[in-house]
Amino acid sequence: MKIAVVGKGGVGKTSVSAVLARSIGRLGKPVVALDCDTNPNLGLSLGVGDIETQRIIGIRQQVSDREAEHAHTWDDLISRFGTDAPDGVRLGIVNRIENPEPGCPCCGLSAERLLSQTNFGESIVVGDFEAGLGIFSRVGESQIDITLIVVEPTPRSLDVGMRALELARKNKQGRFIVVANKVSSPAELGLVKQSLTHDDIIVIPFSEALVDADRRGISVFDVKDNETFITPIERLAVELVG
Amino acid sequence: MAEKSTKTKIRVVFVGKGGSGKSTIAGTFAQLLARSGAKVVALDSDPMPGLSYALGLDIDDMPIPEDTVIEGPLGGPKWILKPGTDPEEFLMQYSIPTADGVRYFQFGNVQGPWISIVKPQHAWSEVVSKLPQLDWNIVGDVSGGLRQAMNGWTKYADVALIVVEPTVKGVITAKQLLKMTKASWGPRIMRIVANKVQSDDDLEMLEKKLGVPVIGSVPWSPAILEAERARVSPLVHDPQGTYVEAVSNLIPRVLKLYDIPIDQTY
Repeated sequence: MKIAVVGKGGVGKTSVSAVLARSIGRLGKPVVALDCDTNPNLGLSLGVGDIETQRIIGIRQQVSDREAEHAHTWDDLISRFGTDAPDGVRLGIVNRIENPEPGCPCCGLSAERLLSQTNFGESIVVGDFEAGLGIFSRVGESQIDITLIVVEPTPRSLDVGMRALELARKNKQGRFIVVANKVSSPAELGLVKQSLTHDDIIVIPFSEALVDADRRGISVFDVKDNETFITPIERLAVELVG
Repeated sequence: MAEKSTKTKIRVVFVGKGGSGKSTIAGTFAQLLARSGAKVVALDSDPMPGLSYALGLDIDDMPIPEDTVIEGPLGGPKWILKPGTDPEEFLMQYSIPTADGVRYFQFGNVQGPWISIVKPQHAWSEVVSKLPQLDWNIVGDVSGGLRQAMNGWTKYADVALIVVEPTVKGVITAKQLLKMTKASWGPRIMRIVANKVQSDDDLEMLEKKLGVPVIGSVPWSPAILEAERARVSPLVHDPQGTYVEAVSNLIPRVLKLYDIPIDQTY
């Protein structure tokens, strides 16, 4: 199963991806969290820490700077440009690099092609995409099983959400679910529902715990009073793979 | 400030993590600069709407037609502007004027298939590459994150301002963006603009972790979301507010950067 997480910058894509991946891991399923962002920081939200996150960015950068060998297989890629995160999640950094070698699985293979061409076996894949819709607009038809379109109740984020919905429908990307994040009132939820006419929707109330976790660069699992953020995503995990 | 800004041409781009507030600061900066009497073009290479909101524009799509370019010569760029195209006329024709006289210039939003914007992008880039020879101040905005910033989309800028929220992710992104100066096309000077700041500790943390001066600090303000919801610019919504004041303070500081000798730049 391949799950893509998309949306405008700053809406909480990475936090949603991380909690979903860890919740799937807690259910005992094999799970790979792919950081498809050119600016990879999924490691922070998964809880691997600032130093480890920057270490794997650095390894990726070495390939870009031609100072390190490319990975030649998927397994090699995920083992070298990856790290173990809590709850059995394997994190892999698959962002595009600056000096790609044609045909190389670790760099010439862009995130969109990686998702469509790689055999992930039994693993459930959660892909955290970069801000906006650049990559998402180039993923081929029917390559993703589940698309989470993360929005917050602001007009600009909803603009991006609307376009993502259009793209997902046009490219027949399986099931797509709107994740309305940072919702602090019924009026705000109304705004989301009015802009995005889509019934498959999950609501995450505004969470101080998430703000705190982001500021400190740690997982929201490691902050107290995190239930408002975590519970709706845990329920989704059970529904999808439980 | 007014008399000086007509002499020195500012060519600045705002970069940063998605959602850090680049577009809103860029749009406000551009309008304030235009109000001082300067001729300003706001360049937008982000296919997502953002800068147009901050400029208070209702329409954000002024697509550049595909037939403005022809195939380039062998071994050269794939597409070139039609011979005889005047960049200034092109800019005036395909940009949208704001209430403050800023010209908003982008290549048309990505609604269609990926291929359909390639030609407009070429036309846009070629016109932009000729702007420094023309009499324009440039305020640029790129898509969030690293992709455009690290791939030469900001060639037009002498100064790149990294908009950073005081979070660990913001700092990591900023560290990557600081590598822009190493590129041949990179900006001459980079500075930090701290956004959504809540305390002085935030500023100290950013300077310490990034090793680059913070040129301005913009406070968190509820007026920004209110303005976005009302579909007006922050400048119109809350002209006397702390947000507009903070962005306004950036202009003389950016101008001052142009007095810095080249060997003392970051």
